[in-house]
Amino acid sequence: MAYMLRRFGFYLVAFWVSITLNFFLPRFMPGDPVSRMVARLQGQLRPDQIEALKESFGLSDAPLWEQYLRYLGQILTGNLGFSISRFPTPVVDVIGSVIGWTLLLGFVSLIIAVILGNVLGILAAWRRGGVLDSYVPPILIFIGSFPYFWLAMGMLYVFGVVLGWFPVRHAFGVGMTPEFSLAFIADVAYHLILPATSIVLVSIGGWMLGMRNTMIATNAEDYIVMAEAKGLRPNRVRTNYAARNALLPSVTAFGMSLGFLVGGALLTEVVFAYPGIGFTLLSAVQNLDYPLMQGLFLTITTFVLIANFLVDIVYVRLDPRVRVS
Amino acid sequence: MSLAQNPQAMAELGLGTAPGPDGKPQAAPPPPRRRGGGGLLRGLVGNGKSVAGIVILILFLLIAVFAPVISPGDPNLITGMGSQPPSLEHWLGTTAKGQDVLALNIWGSRSSLFVGFSVGILALLVGLLVGLASAYLGRWVDNILSLVTNVFLLLPGLPLLVILAAFLPQGLGTVILVLVITGWAGSARVLRSQAMSIRGKDFVGASQVTGESGLRIMFREMLPNMASIVMSTFLACVIFGIGAQAGLEFLGLGDISTVSWGTNLYWASNDGALLTGAWWVFVPPGVCIALVAFALALVNYGVDETTNPRLRRPRRRTTPDEPTRVAASVKNSSSQAAASQKEQKR
Amino acid sequence: MTVHRKAVLIAAALATSAALALTGCSADGGDSGESLDGTQLLTIPREDMGTFDRNFNPFSNPEFPMTQQAIYESMLIYNPADGSTTPWLATEWEVAPDSTGITYHLRDGVKWSDGEPFTADDVVLSFDLQREIRGGFDYIETVTAVDPLTVQFDFNEPFSPALLDIGHQIIAPAHIWSEVDDTTKFANEEPVGTGPYTEVTSFQAQSFDLGKNPEYWQPEKQQLEGIRMLAFAGNDGANLAAANGDVDWAPQFIPNIEEAYVAKDPDNRFYWFPPTGSMINWQFNTTKAPFDDPDVRKALSMAVDRAQVTDIGMQGYTYPADCTGLTGSYDTWRDDTVVESCTWTARDLEAAGELLDDAGITLGADGKRVLPDGTPFAFDFSVGSTSSDWVSVGNVISQNLAELGVTVTVAAKDWGDVVAGYENGTFDSGIVWSANAPTPYQFYRGVMGTETVKPVGEQTFDNYHRYGSPEADALLAQFAAAPDEAAQHDVANQLQALFADDAPVAPLFPGPEWGAASNERFTGWPTEDNPYATLSTRSRTTVLVLTTLEPVTAD
Repeated sequence: MAYMLRRFGFYLVAFWVSITLNFFLPRFMPGDPVSRMVARLQGQLRPDQIEALKESFGLSDAPLWEQYLRYLGQILTGNLGFSISRFPTPVVDVIGSVIGWTLLLGFVSLIIAVILGNVLGILAAWRRGGVLDSYVPPILIFIGSFPYFWLAMGMLYVFGVVLGWFPVRHAFGVGMTPEFSLAFIADVAYHLILPATSIVLVSIGGWMLGMRNTMIATNAEDYIVMAEAKGLRPNRVRTNYAARNALLPSVTAFGMSLGFLVGGALLTEVVFAYPGIGFTLLSAVQNLDYPLMQGLFLTITTFVLIANFLVDIVYVRLDPRVRVS
Repeated sequence: MSLAQNPQAMAELGLGTAPGPDGKPQAAPPPPRRRGGGGLLRGLVGNGKSVAGIVILILFLLIAVFAPVISPGDPNLITGMGSQPPSLEHWLGTTAKGQDVLALNIWGSRSSLFVGFSVGILALLVGLLVGLASAYLGRWVDNILSLVTNVFLLLPGLPLLVILAAFLPQGLGTVILVLVITGWAGSARVLRSQAMSIRGKDFVGASQVTGESGLRIMFREMLPNMASIVMSTFLACVIFGIGAQAGLEFLGLGDISTVSWGTNLYWASNDGALLTGAWWVFVPPGVCIALVAFALALVNYGVDETTNPRLRRPRRRTTPDEPTRVAASVKNSSSQAAASQKEQKR
Repeated sequence: MTVHRKAVLIAAALATSAALALTGCSADGGDSGESLDGTQLLTIPREDMGTFDRNFNPFSNPEFPMTQQAIYESMLIYNPADGSTTPWLATEWEVAPDSTGITYHLRDGVKWSDGEPFTADDVVLSFDLQREIRGGFDYIETVTAVDPLTVQFDFNEPFSPALLDIGHQIIAPAHIWSEVDDTTKFANEEPVGTGPYTEVTSFQAQSFDLGKNPEYWQPEKQQLEGIRMLAFAGNDGANLAAANGDVDWAPQFIPNIEEAYVAKDPDNRFYWFPPTGSMINWQFNTTKAPFDDPDVRKALSMAVDRAQVTDIGMQGYTYPADCTGLTGSYDTWRDDTVVESCTWTARDLEAAGELLDDAGITLGADGKRVLPDGTPFAFDFSVGSTSSDWVSVGNVISQNLAELGVTVTVAAKDWGDVVAGYENGTFDSGIVWSANAPTPYQFYRGVMGTETVKPVGEQTFDNYHRYGSPEADALLAQFAAAPDEAAQHDVANQLQALFADDAPVAPLFPGPEWGAASNERFTGWPTEDNPYATLSTRSRTTVLVLTTLEPVTAD
């Protein structure tokens, strides 16, 4: 319990540091949102409209400290303000409309990579020297060495454009309305295949290798020898004793990856025109959209912290040694 | 000759000083601890995978260093018609503007490798300092440094990268700085946990008693015993540096005026390479990045196998329930090393 | 069962279920494959937004696709491609003799999409809202509804360009907007407009559809079933869609357009880049010596090989500028005598060298020029890194200037950074756009008027190069007070001659208005031979295209 309280306390501090950084960092960037808008529109914005713009964006000349305190207050009340680059849509609406897709893409890719990677790793460790152990990890690592946007573009080109096997953009067929029907879900899955596969390909090598190494180390533990000596079936030893202990580092890594879901797949989303949060973040930064940037960072940081906290809780349950230490 | 059968080498690596199966410290031959790295290097050279990796790396390094000789002239110059497929004149074809793809990628290796290795070294150094200080100086220094490390770990990397790269002045220095800022925390955490476990060992206590200064203990006693982890972390940081630089430059946030693999991909995309079917502009930079990253991964593989002999390919195929044949004394420390290596690979 | 067999079985089960799921949707994902029965939707990509947020407020969100083009309309439409003006919501107008006011007569029988009649009150309210929310129109004193079909504008100073300036303002319904509390933040999710396609039939983050306005005043021109906008996060996705034939209209920049787009379906696909965008200039910071010397500016301009710039940098999509500084949309204003006597927009290294020598910037022993105080003549060329074509232009210019002994370094940074440098006057030189209103008044005012000059350090959004000429001011005032078009043209000629004399900036090339389209599913596009509009989806002429296109039916 004390352990959990300490972790919670730490997360609170980390949260506060992140949102503070979140506030100050963008304001150190040169320029201001209005001049960014001018740059973006390149001559279409009339100079006599600039003052009115500044006012409507709510850009204040108050000292930074005041703005910071106001910002903290706004966070506590959940008022994230209005986006500047997508004026006048509220930040909450902007984030809400896209975060679902990012979560879907990230989560599906992560789950597949983790499950496949760990299963392959366990199998590889079990049959040392076999094909799975000797050749597959290097091959997967090689595939994973490519920059992931390169793989995404390559797959898009080969499987989407040239072969035409998969859709080349968006989360579902244009013109369909989201609903809980089998047809729609199948369509979403169909559109998910290419982007998710590109992410899985890049990450699966690491999961497999890591799991394999940990399994091998675990296999050498005393209690495994003991279990075998006692005559337990190899399957049972492998699953209930070796794999269970070898899974612990994977759980930690899974937790961390879970947190980064929200911020992660920027380039994949751009390549596949997947309506997620990645591009929103990039354009928010490029347009110096303070409210949207802050809102996005807040969302991402919250996710990361919650995911890590959950993992800590789960980990304590899985590994009693942590409570003692 | 397998490392496992050489107790002298095992001791040099510091593995022989781990507690044995009965939990009591083993009497190890007095290890010349400073040469911890030497045994590792020797092990690497003996390992097939790492040799392959090292060869590839040296090849790329040579290409980078001798770029002006191999491909004289400014690679940006327009030397041919636009979008020509590979031919005898231009081995990898030309870009949409008419520049030679092979020259661009040969010269591109300089920037990419420079940034990659700089980031690797700097991130490692920062992580090392933080990790060692944390482990050795203990209590409140550890708490603060841990907090800082964990906060940086939890900050989402890519968005932070985008913000920093957008507001600092463009240039290779900025790219390196930004990547180090977002990358040091991972290595710090791994190195700290390894340093902590070494901190608890007797020889460190002995050094303190004999009056060695803190810095000397950190760098002359603890560090050499972490050689393998340091090496793995370094390799991981370099991989991170090269990949992240490519991603940044592809987004247009890096230094557009340099020639690097990442900017080659940026221009390929901007000039619609794939759209016009000009795959020869798009494929080489990606393959180069992959080869270098893979070579580093191979060396990492070698480090893993050298320090944890269990990971080596068994002489003959084994059945699931037959344990790998290794010397029993290295059991505990190797599993620890393997676990922390696994952790830092994330 | 052994591990191996179990794993194989699991994998097989997964694969089968996946395949089953896919068969439910493979053939038709709604992406393409519609039959050509006349009900196909006009599909247009938008590459700079990533996702759409449902907000059709034309005042605070004017850049949103189709809001100001398909939903709301303006009183008249000026077409820069052929210089014609089409009456739209207004049928006639009278300009007061001293250009201090205009009276517009509105079209009878126009209804809003909810059935309410369109009247002069709507015009009055729209201008109130526009000035309140976005500002501008400072010269307007009052707007009055004389009767339900007549609006009168009175100015506080003569301003002849007002006709088209006011005529281009979109009109919104007073009966809706007067009831809104916060007009700036109003999301306007179910817009009511006079335009041809106002009904939002479907709205997602990745795309939205607009259907016909049931009360449109030109029902015979509503041949399309509707419009579909697709969201992309960058040019790549949009270009891919265009190349694949998944969109009908491609208004974004497509690199290598012949191969990437046209070649895939040469019978139907075409592109047309009328030079009606704003003039793209190489501007010098005239507050820094030696850029304050017009001869130096002319010399630098003479060293540029504009043919190379347009061929290599801009892939041949545009042509070199002349000494009037006027872009293609002002062809009817161009004074040919100025063009013919022009010297400093054509490449002439010798003459350039002489001009520099006369200014005291001489060649050193190493072939590089030095300023009178001995420092080398070297400066930066600012450009935003994401505009790859302009970066290429910068590279060409740098190479050109090297032959003159001047070292120009291309500083490609983030656009926000670059513009911040422009706004504060801290830059050396750089590539920049210019004003592009229907008359050249705003262009010359922004390039030479003293009113637009602000000191270094004070943020400005106009006239970054900070050059002002009193003669220009006099001419601009004359233009504003001009009683008719002929008088305007007269003054414009003098402005052009002044520009050619002073060379405040070095015009490079008219910015092309990107546009490509396919006749596969819709016909009636504007082309070079039939320039009734441009191929832009963000200008006032877009509605001309929307009301001219017809779907292709397969029979």
